[in-house]
Amino acid sequence: MSNINFVDIQHLKKGEVNLGTSIMAVKFDKGVVIGADSRTTTGSYIANRVTDKLTHIHDRIYCCRSGSAADTQAVADIVHYHAQTYTAVYGENPPVNTVAALFEKLCYENKDNLSAGIIVGGWDKEKGGSVYNIPLGGGMFEQPWAIGGSGSTYVYGYCDATYREGWGEEETVNFVKNTLALAMARDGSSGGCIRMCVITEDKVERHFVPGNELPRFWEGKEVVGGHSAQPTAVSA
Amino acid sequence: MAATGVAPNNIGFDFSNYARNEFLGARLGAQAKTTSTGTTIVGLKYGGGDSGDEEGICLGADTRATGGPIVADKNCEKIHYLTPHIRCCGAGTAADTEYVTNLISSNLELHSLSQGRQVRVVTAMTMLKQYLYRYQGHVGAYLVVGGVDSTGPQLFTVHAHGSTDKLPYVTMGSGSLAAMAVFESAYKEHLTKAEAIALVARAIRAGVFNDLGSGSNVDVSVITKAGTETLRNYETPNERGIKSRDYKFRRGTTAWLKENVRDLVVSEEVKVTMGAGKAQQGTTDRPVAVGAGPGGEEGMDLDA
Amino acid sequence: MSIQEYNGGSVVAMVGKDCVAIACDLRLGNQATGIAMNFEKVFPVNDTLYYGLPGLATDVYTLREQLRFRVNMYRMKEEREITPETFTHLLSSTLYEKRFGPYFLEPVIAGIAPPTAANPNPQPYVSTLDSIGCITTPKDFAVAGTATDKLYGAAEGLWEPDLEPEDLFETISQTLLNAVDRDALSGWGAIVHVITKDKVITRTLRSRMD
Repeated sequence: MSNINFVDIQHLKKGEVNLGTSIMAVKFDKGVVIGADSRTTTGSYIANRVTDKLTHIHDRIYCCRSGSAADTQAVADIVHYHAQTYTAVYGENPPVNTVAALFEKLCYENKDNLSAGIIVGGWDKEKGGSVYNIPLGGGMFEQPWAIGGSGSTYVYGYCDATYREGWGEEETVNFVKNTLALAMARDGSSGGCIRMCVITEDKVERHFVPGNELPRFWEGKEVVGGHSAQPTAVSA
Repeated sequence: MAATGVAPNNIGFDFSNYARNEFLGARLGAQAKTTSTGTTIVGLKYGGGDSGDEEGICLGADTRATGGPIVADKNCEKIHYLTPHIRCCGAGTAADTEYVTNLISSNLELHSLSQGRQVRVVTAMTMLKQYLYRYQGHVGAYLVVGGVDSTGPQLFTVHAHGSTDKLPYVTMGSGSLAAMAVFESAYKEHLTKAEAIALVARAIRAGVFNDLGSGSNVDVSVITKAGTETLRNYETPNERGIKSRDYKFRRGTTAWLKENVRDLVVSEEVKVTMGAGKAQQGTTDRPVAVGAGPGGEEGMDLDA
Repeated sequence: MSIQEYNGGSVVAMVGKDCVAIACDLRLGNQATGIAMNFEKVFPVNDTLYYGLPGLATDVYTLREQLRFRVNMYRMKEEREITPETFTHLLSSTLYEKRFGPYFLEPVIAGIAPPTAANPNPQPYVSTLDSIGCITTPKDFAVAGTATDKLYGAAEGLWEPDLEPEDLFETISQTLLNAVDRDALSGWGAIVHVITKDKVITRTLRSRMD
């Protein structure tokens, strides 16, 4: 397997619930924006079309889950427990780095039994916003932006070409929204709606984009209704 | 290790036959077939808003159990009890759904006793998912967990591998596609209780008539803050017709070689005697032969 | 050929009016080769409770002895006879304990509980379990073994409610005999037990021996 973000579907146990998934997290000056599609599949059946893959770990730390639903939920539950314990012991929020390291430890030490690709995003007082990518077999990489899941393979080029340093919240939200819409359009295992979450020192704000309000791009001349939709994509 | 399993600390599964069965399976092919609940199970949230009805959960299930292509049970119960205000529909391997719900129900009872309050539905869901995750999908229970607790009505699905989903309306089992088609076209928020029951019954009927793994009757359970209403065989759209004649055999049809009738009625004759040691009217003194009296065979005859 | 079919054999049980019947064939095979014609698969637990174990013969012995032990322990601890319902659950948990290395058996249980103060008029009872202990408690009849398919067909057609013991004997015998005649792995004689509150009639049937 050449791409570490590709979730090997054969590896999943038969009948296992799979997060085919497009997930993303991007750092900006005040914090992070994380986002995900909402599709959960069992084979070709969509078991949940409004899934929330943005999982709460602590007050200002969330993770995006991809791979096996059971594995990623189990791992997230364990890390959530440790994060709570951290606060109980030290009386303050755990740093994002610490939480990401916990994820990495679990994913690396149990790599033979897990199919979990996780992106951790959050805000802490040490570093402000930060994004950590923890791909399939473990490893922990701090990045300004990270994409993951089966849909991510389609949008690496878009992200490389579009991302700029020093964006504000609105630009970052639009970047995440457009990237996910592109990934979901190409990847059959991703789809539904877009869920996003803006995490800063002051707030955790959720955004929801319904399936019929997704950003649209050029779709050919013969789109339904006869008129070519005006691309809603922002120019970078 | 003798597998008598009486030691109280010997809990959990016994894998002692596993290696043997793998060997036998490799030599002879197919493995043991188990009863599975082909199944359509559903659940939805209803009430609240302007429905005028109290918020609640409505669960539904068909009643067919299958073993391969055979209908193993035409009227089984798939809505399992967890606590007075939590029920759980089960699909997948029948024995697993039965035992996993029994185990968790038992642990929930102990939990509520130790905490001194009603357990929440998330607690039940978490205990189920953690148990199932431990067995990595080998315990084949696919569940719809629903109930009402201090946080309101709650509805979850739990897959055998240990993943869970929280949704306002859910379906599971082989008939889940048929049932979900009904829900996707007709579900609305804030249904009345009567509408909810009707929709759940319609979703189950979609499974019963369109999915080969589901069949027979419709079971419904309605859970509100007040408690649980169990509507066993709420609909019976597949009653067997009454036979107009019978195939009773004339007595003596079957030829047999040997018969043994074991009489279970112990009859003994009691004779009333009066006085000590004196021969009474109607009784005769019989000398007891050595070793032939009661207990004689065991050498207990002391009158020798 | 599956493990459950290795030795062949079938069991059927039926409910009648204040009586139950349980019957089995007598064949023990090694795949298609017949080995013995006196292999009974139905055993008594107590006066009015019998159970049958069709399936892998080695497991028949293992489970029968384990059940004998467990029922004896129950009898000593409780100082009473086990009821059919309790025995079914005892058997179920015994089988489920081996969920991941099961016995290749599909037990059938038939009996009438002894009358007690709490339950002065116990009803006839039959049940079946799959190889990992899933209980089904039918109101009419239960079948298991290599002739399962045929037994279902025959029993579904022949069984009727409220049969007297002698009529139940005819119905269960004809069901078993005719089903077993179309099963290559069952047959070679049959034995029937009709259990009522005050007696147990056991008859060895005359059957095809091919």
